[in-house]
Amino acid sequence: MTPVVLALLIAGLLAAPAAAQETRERLDNGFTVLVRENPIAPVVAVSLLVKMGTRWEDPTNAGISNFVHAVMVRGTARRSGSELAEAIAGLGGKLSAKGDVDDSEISATALARFWRELLGFTAELALEPKLSPGEVDGERDWLVGRIQKRRDNAPARAFDEFYAALYGAHPYAIPGLGTPESLAGIDHAALVAWYRRFYQPERMTLAVSGQVSAAAVRAEARRLFGALPRGAPVTEPVRSAPGNSGERRVFEQPAQQTQILVGALAPPLGHPDGAAVKVLSTVLGGGMAGRLFVELRDKRGLAYTAAAYYDPVVDPGAIVLYLGTAPENATRAEEALLREVERVRQDLVGADELDRAKGYLLGRYAMDRRTNERRAWYLAFYEIEGVGADYPERYRRAVEAVTPSDVLRVARQYLGTLTTVVLRPR
Amino acid sequence: MARAALGLAAILLLAGCATAGAMRPAATATPMREVLPNGVVLIVQEQRASEVVALQLWMRMGGRDEAAEELGLAHYIEHMLFKGTPTRPPGSIDTLIEGFGGTSNAFTSYDTTHYDFVVPTRHLRAGVELLADLAVNASFPPEEIESEKKVVFEEMNLIEDDPEKFLLRRLYEVAYSPHPYGRALLGRREFIQKLDRDQLRQFYRKHFVPKNMVLVVVGAAAPAQVRQLVEAAFGRIQAAAPSRGETPPVPTLGPARRVDVSRAEKQAYLGLAWRTAPLANEDVYAVDLLTSILGDSPTSRLNQTVREQLRLVATIEAGYGAFEKAGLVTVTARLEPADLDRAEAAILDVIRKVRADGVTEAERQRALITAESSYAFDIETAEGLAKTYGQAETTWTLDNELAYLSRLRGITAAQIQAVARKYFRDEDYARVRFVPGAPSR
Repeated sequence: MTPVVLALLIAGLLAAPAAAQETRERLDNGFTVLVRENPIAPVVAVSLLVKMGTRWEDPTNAGISNFVHAVMVRGTARRSGSELAEAIAGLGGKLSAKGDVDDSEISATALARFWRELLGFTAELALEPKLSPGEVDGERDWLVGRIQKRRDNAPARAFDEFYAALYGAHPYAIPGLGTPESLAGIDHAALVAWYRRFYQPERMTLAVSGQVSAAAVRAEARRLFGALPRGAPVTEPVRSAPGNSGERRVFEQPAQQTQILVGALAPPLGHPDGAAVKVLSTVLGGGMAGRLFVELRDKRGLAYTAAAYYDPVVDPGAIVLYLGTAPENATRAEEALLREVERVRQDLVGADELDRAKGYLLGRYAMDRRTNERRAWYLAFYEIEGVGADYPERYRRAVEAVTPSDVLRVARQYLGTLTTVVLRPR
Repeated sequence: MARAALGLAAILLLAGCATAGAMRPAATATPMREVLPNGVVLIVQEQRASEVVALQLWMRMGGRDEAAEELGLAHYIEHMLFKGTPTRPPGSIDTLIEGFGGTSNAFTSYDTTHYDFVVPTRHLRAGVELLADLAVNASFPPEEIESEKKVVFEEMNLIEDDPEKFLLRRLYEVAYSPHPYGRALLGRREFIQKLDRDQLRQFYRKHFVPKNMVLVVVGAAAPAQVRQLVEAAFGRIQAAAPSRGETPPVPTLGPARRVDVSRAEKQAYLGLAWRTAPLANEDVYAVDLLTSILGDSPTSRLNQTVREQLRLVATIEAGYGAFEKAGLVTVTARLEPADLDRAEAAILDVIRKVRADGVTEAERQRALITAESSYAFDIETAEGLAKTYGQAETTWTLDNELAYLSRLRGITAAQIQAVARKYFRDEDYARVRFVPGAPSR
C-alpha cells in the first residue's frame, strides 16, 4: 500500500486555488470527460481513472488490479506492447498503467499537436487490451520479483506490515502489488473477468490537460468512448470496518536501521476534520520544521528520518508517524515520539507553528500542481472520488481556517488508540 | 542542445545539490529582458501554469573560472551559499523556503552556476530578497565549512563508485585536459581538505559581482511587480568589474588520447568522444539531431546495430555536451570485456555509414519530435522555462534559445550528414575503457 500512500500524500490533501478553465461532461453511458485548457506549453497529458483497486480485492486475489494493468500494457488487439511504446514515442510521449487503492490509472503524455492520436492509443489500451494468455506468467514472475525486492527493503516492508496491522480485515490492509501466494492463484481467466467487471463506462473518468481545445477533445472522447455500453453494476463487497487494534507488532529482518511506525485511523477524503488532521500531521512531521524532525533528529539525534503524514482515501485514512533510527536509539526514539503525541494532545499549538504548517501544506500543494500530467491526475482523482471540482478551493479555505483548538481536538479524537510496527535488524 | 548540455552536465558532474500543433501562444511567448544600471540582467516572464514563481540566480561563473590550484571552489561555494548570511543563521534558509512550501536547489557547471527557488507566488518578495542577500552577504560560517567537507567527499565517492558517471568524468578529462572542461568540478580531495574561509570569500567577492548576475523570474507574477522588487533588492548592489579570464584553446583529439582504467566491476565500459560544435555555433542544431539519431533511444542506430543486431553491448547511448567554448559528443556503452575491440569497431562503422550514406527523412523527423518533446516538457513548468532562459543568457543568447526549435526544424538530412563528415573522422576521437581488474584510480 505504500506506493499508493505516498502518491496520495502528495496528491490528495493539500490545496490551492484552481485555474478556472476546466470543463466537465458526462456521456450518456456514464463515462465522464474533464478537460483543462492550458495554453502554457505545447504538451498534453491524459489520465484515465477507473474505479478498480485494492479496495475491491481480498487476500485471495490481492494485487489483481495492478496485475491486470501490467498485462494490459503488453499489447492491444491492434499492436504489440513494444509497437505501442514505439508509436507513443513517435508522438514525443510516454504511457503507463497501474493499479492503486481506490482506482487504477492509464496515464499518457505527448506533444499537444498529437492529442488526438494520444487519446486514440489511450482508448485502444483501455477498451481493446489483448490480455494475452502468453503474457500472464511472465508478468507474474516480474511482479513476484518486485514483491520480493519490496520485502527485502526494510522501510517498504515496515509500511506494508503497518497497514496490515492498522486495517486488519479491511482491504486497505492489502499490499497493492499483492503477495506471491495471491498472484500464484490469479490465472488468465481471473484477469479477464476482473478487467471486464471494472472497465465499464460509468466507472471511468478521462481527464485531459494541455494545449488543447476542450470542445474538440470532448467530441473525440465521445467518439472513442461514447458507444461503450453500460455494464452490469459492480456488487460492492461487504468490507469489514478497519481494525486499529492498538497492537504493537515487532518484526526482524537483516537491515542496518530500525523502522518505527506509529499511527491511527483518520477521516476519509472530504470529511470535515480532514483539513485539521492534515495540519496536525504537518505540525508533527511535515519537513525539517516538523516536531519529530526538530525534537528527535535536530535536538537529540535519535533518528535519521522523522516524518508524519495523513493520506485520505474513500474509506478511513491513516495518520502515520515514521522514524528510521539506529538500533541502539530505537527504544528512546519510540518513547520520544510518544511524548510528542502526548504533547500535541495536551497543549495548543502556537500561532507561528500553525502558520508554518499551513504555508508548508498549501505551498506543497501548489508545487505538486505544476505539470499537466499532475493536473490531469488531480482532475480525474477528485471526480472519481466524488468530492467535486471545487475541492481544491474548498480545501484551501478549510486549511486556512484551522485553529489551534481544532488541531488539539482532532489530536485527541484521532490519536487515542495507536497501532505500532517496529522492524528491527536481525 | 542547450538541453543536451544541461542533461550531460547533471550526469557528468553530479553537482546539483537538492536541499529540500501550435507552439507557445503569443501572449506568453517572449520574456522581458532588462539590464539594470549596475549590470545585473533581469529576465522576467509571466506564466500562470500554477500559483508558483521560479526565481533563479544564474552566475556567469563556473568551474572554468577556477585557477588550476583551486579546483572545486565554484562547487564548494554552491554548497555554502545557503548556509547563512549575517541576518540568517545556519539552517534558517532551508527552513524558510520549506515553510513557504517551496523548494531550493543549486547547480554548478563549467560555464555557470545557478541558485534556484520555487515558491508560492505570495512569497515572491521574500524570495527575491533572499536571493539578493545570498548574492552579496553569504557569511560562510567556519563550522559549516568544515562539516560540509564530509558532504562533498561523499559526493566524490558517489561519482567514483558509479561506473557510468565516472566513465563520463574520465572521458571529459581525457578529451579536454588541460582545458578547464576536463576538470573535476568537485575538485581534488587534498585541496578541499585544506580549504578555508578566506579562499571561499575571496573567490565569492571576485565573481559575485552584478555584471556576472542574471536573475530569471518566471511564474504567476506581473512583470512590473517583479521588476520593482528586483530593482530594489539587486539594483543597489555595488557595480564592480567582472574578471573572467580567457580559456585556453581546446586540444584536438586523436590516438594519443586513449586511456584504459582498471576497475572493480565485472563488466567493461567503453567511452568514445568526438570534438564538435560549441554553443552559438551554427552546427549545433545538426549535431544535436545527429546525436539523437545515433543514440538516444532504443530505435537509434547504435542501439539497433551494436546492441540488437551484433549483441556486442548491454547498453549504449550517445550524448552531446554543448558548452560555451567547446562541444563534445560522447558514445558510452556497458559490455563484456572480450567485446571491447569489436564494439568499438562496430560503433565506428555505424558512424562511417552515416558519413557515407546520410540519415533518412524518417530518422530526421523522429529526432525532431524527440527534441521538440523534451523542449516542450522542459518549458511546461515555471522553473523549467526559467532554466532555459538562464542557461541561454549565460552561455549563448536568449534570442538563440527562443529560435531554437524553428532552427532545428530547418535542418535537412544533408546538413546532418555534413556535420557527421566534419566532426566524426575515423581517428579523431578520445577513448576511455574501464576494464575489470585491480582498481587503479
